[in-house]
Amino acid sequence: MTMAAAGDATVVGRCVTVGGGGVLVVGYGNGLRTDDGIGPAVAARLAGDPRLAESDVRSMHQLTPELAFDASRVSLLVLVDAAADVAAGEVVVRHLDPERVVGQAMTHHLDPAGLVGLAQELWGAAPPVVVVSVGVASLEIGDRLSPVVEGAVPRAADAVAAVVEAAIVEAASRA
Amino acid sequence: MSQTITIDPVTRIEGHSRITIQLDDRGEVVDAHFHVTQFRGFERITQGRPVHEMPALMARICGICPVSHLIASAKAVDDIMAVEPTPTGADLRRIMNLGQIVQSNALSFFHLSSPDLLFGFDADPAVRNIIGVARAHPELAKDGIALRKWGQQIIEWLGGKRIHPEGIVPGGVAFQLTAEVRDRILAGVPEAIAAVERAIAWYKSDMLRWEEEASTFGNFRSAFMGLVDRQGNVDHYGGWLRVVDADGHFLADKVDPKTFNDYIGEAVEPWSYLKSTYWKPMGYPDGLYRVGPLARLNVAERTGTPRADEELEKFRWRVGRIASSSFHYHYARLIDTLHAIEKIEQLLRGPDILSHHVRSVAGINRNEGIGVSEAPRGTLMHHYRVDDDGLVEWVNLVIATGHNNMAMNRAVLQVARRHVKADRLEEAMLNRVEAVIRCYDPCLSCSTHALGQMAIKIQLLAPGGAILDELRR
Repeated sequence: MTMAAAGDATVVGRCVTVGGGGVLVVGYGNGLRTDDGIGPAVAARLAGDPRLAESDVRSMHQLTPELAFDASRVSLLVLVDAAADVAAGEVVVRHLDPERVVGQAMTHHLDPAGLVGLAQELWGAAPPVVVVSVGVASLEIGDRLSPVVEGAVPRAADAVAAVVEAAIVEAASRA
Repeated sequence: MSQTITIDPVTRIEGHSRITIQLDDRGEVVDAHFHVTQFRGFERITQGRPVHEMPALMARICGICPVSHLIASAKAVDDIMAVEPTPTGADLRRIMNLGQIVQSNALSFFHLSSPDLLFGFDADPAVRNIIGVARAHPELAKDGIALRKWGQQIIEWLGGKRIHPEGIVPGGVAFQLTAEVRDRILAGVPEAIAAVERAIAWYKSDMLRWEEEASTFGNFRSAFMGLVDRQGNVDHYGGWLRVVDADGHFLADKVDPKTFNDYIGEAVEPWSYLKSTYWKPMGYPDGLYRVGPLARLNVAERTGTPRADEELEKFRWRVGRIASSSFHYHYARLIDTLHAIEKIEQLLRGPDILSHHVRSVAGINRNEGIGVSEAPRGTLMHHYRVDDDGLVEWVNLVIATGHNNMAMNRAVLQVARRHVKADRLEEAMLNRVEAVIRCYDPCLSCSTHALGQMAIKIQLLAPGGAILDELRR
């Protein structure tokens, strides 16, 4: 789950460039902690979505160092996660500040900044990162989303699709 | 005035725990405890479930070593069904287990422990992590990531998913291996071997630097336990249990794992949810023994694969036939990984590995079953009792970290006695106490999703509980 500090991200609107590397979408979280499972739920919805037919959509428990290699190969990384600093059910799109991509890692999982920082350190390439966050209502043990967060799944999926489509349009206009 | 130092939580391990160090009136360390503060309850929540569900349920115990629980659980259900998996099914289980050994050992060595080894235990924690390793030693970091990715890929391709896979079922495995997947795995073998051999070469060239540290890093006489095959080679899946003492003499050999209850007792201490297992003939707490990569190398004659055996010979030349310092878990873990990669290749080149006979089918033929295998961290035991309809009545799980519980406490005490000074709290003490625990790579967790970054805190407390001093990270 993202615990975004002020200044870590900027709000929607800035277009990103999609080059030859493609788009990687990762929904992550713990499906046994109720609303923390929003990321995987959105990834599951997007898996068959024609708007993301050319994207690599994955569902993960956590962001792990192994993902850094794949991240270094794409032109856009979209992460979908639960957020404690956003109103329950609200969908927020934030762009990771490229100046602050060098994160910390104390264990086997990383935060978004740590992930792209690792990609940059090891493979010399870090894609622009967009984080689509959904505010949680509950993080208790349970394998179902709360009603308010369940209702946000289509909106979060649309937000991801909009980010990807905007990036594709941007790339096409540059070509 | 006696005092207590608390380290809470311990970082870069799997799960949540804390350490307390007890000082006497003169400020000397008199005792130390490693507390596991989380409670799981799987043994109770599975009661009443159909036994064929057990492997899938047990895989949920852990996000790091789900395959180990799958295998031990499936073997326990095999026992209840009185059925032997088909040879191909057993080999595919072995390959998945070895894939997990590779990925979990890589996580432990490269991601969690290499920062200590590269930068030293006294380096700034802001640098002493995987990002720091990537900056200063990018090839080592890449090798660690590649090994872990390859191991996870094997689990995903054979088990359906990389975390909580479901391909292992009672009687064998659920899916036949295709030639394409076999060849894809085999294509990664040369690079996997090269990666771990680079790490071994680096470790050997650097290990003299840690010689003094190793001498007091959980360095004590104890027994060791692990599975071996009929030739005495390391066996991660089946075979016999062997236990050797600190001098390498057999305390027990050719023990049918299904009889483990005759030899292994479990004690409960009020300060931890983690049970302490002990060697029954020696009683509690004298029957302390260790499991895991170091124990596997200590109990076996050989690993049974050529490259790993060559390294094992060098290992024994450097640290002795029975390595007693817990520091050598790191070195042993690398050799264990090399062996696992070689063994995966051997099994994949077997003539029947693509056979469609991957599962034996049977019903409930016994009311009790035991499954034992080697997890990355050591020997894992699942013991179930069911009714005539196959509903679970009773479960007991003996996990690797439980076998090592007494050894970890002993190791913490030894390190604390050397590094803790009563009149002050220092990072050096904190770092080493944590690091000695990390040697055992304990897996306490099972719900691996962490909310934010773990904090670490040591408190020096007066007998009445007042905080005398405090360190935070």
